[in-house]
Amino acid sequence: LGACRVSMSMTEVRAGFTAIKANIQSRDPIRTLSILSHPHSLHKVKSSDRCCITHQLFTFYVDKVFKHCRTEDSFVNRKISSIANSFLSARRKLGQCHEQNKCVCGEESTEKFKQILANYEGLNVTSAAMKSLGELDILLDWMEKSR
Amino acid sequence: SGELNCSLPSPRNVHFESINMKNVLHWSAPEGTGNGVLYKVKYTVYGVGKWIRKPECRNINRTWCDLSSETSDYEEQYYASVKAFLNGTCSDWMETTRFNPLTDTKIDPPMVSVSSTDRSISIILTAPEKWKRSPEEESISLLQVYPGLQYNVSVLNKKTKKRWFFSISNNTLVVPWLEPGTAYCVSAQIHVTTPLLDSDFSKEHCITTLKDK
Repeated sequence: LGACRVSMSMTEVRAGFTAIKANIQSRDPIRTLSILSHPHSLHKVKSSDRCCITHQLFTFYVDKVFKHCRTEDSFVNRKISSIANSFLSARRKLGQCHEQNKCVCGEESTEKFKQILANYEGLNVTSAAMKSLGELDILLDWMEKSR
Repeated sequence: SGELNCSLPSPRNVHFESINMKNVLHWSAPEGTGNGVLYKVKYTVYGVGKWIRKPECRNINRTWCDLSSETSDYEEQYYASVKAFLNGTCSDWMETTRFNPLTDTKIDPPMVSVSSTDRSISIILTAPEKWKRSPEEESISLLQVYPGLQYNVSVLNKKTKKRWFFSISNNTLVVPWLEPGTAYCVSAQIHVTTPLLDSDFSKEHCITTLKDK
């Protein structure tokens, strides 16, 4: 992510999400709203803003998503907490980069993240969190493509 | 269709079958219905507000519909839905799960070409291309779609039955120190680490090294 080096096992996070994707997405009946991809697509983010957007999104998932996604299924819950742990350690590293000015937030990423929060706050917390979790592959696809 | 009575059972197992991002919607006929059932299809881009009908798949009696063109942007995700009609009755719409072309496609094996000297064989691998609307359209290799794409290559000495495996990121491999005048068979597979996607192994390409000079 530019000057900021963050290591996270994408393969593990991917595998964890793939294992629960159908379960989580089936809990989200809303087709007409996306938290991450509309109206602005992550794929349109400038490379200079990538680190900041990633940091903001990891903070978003840690603070606003994972904790509101408990299910009645212990297998799903275990996978969610495993993904959350990966995000937690990556977020910590991103935070350090931010403090060292290696992860500067431009206007575009601030605007983009505002839109994501607005999408999130347009739903009740549990629906918003479950929808966000169901969109994790959108975030992972974008991160892998722009590695 | 508001005036129709929608008591017909719904189409079953509505799902995308995707190979190299050629994305075809498939389904099974409603339970207990024989011939004569007609279908119509719609799809939507996830996160965008409207469902779009597919005119070429309106009042069709087959149980598939090619939506490759409509789902060709692999930075988006999609839902599709099918409705059945029979003798003046209809079914409810039956939807797919959320379809992500990037992670939900199957990849064909690579093309393999092999040449040899007396003591080595050279292997050139070509990743398949992403589905495209027409031959004139610009080709996109799946290598461009999946930056982490690798090849797993198997080389078998037909005489000794000894087999080697190689994992390479670029598309050429030279296998040295082989026996002259011996048949070797090569097969290769595409491996994408994340998202995790593996093609089948290609069929074997056999070649005999030249006799000793």
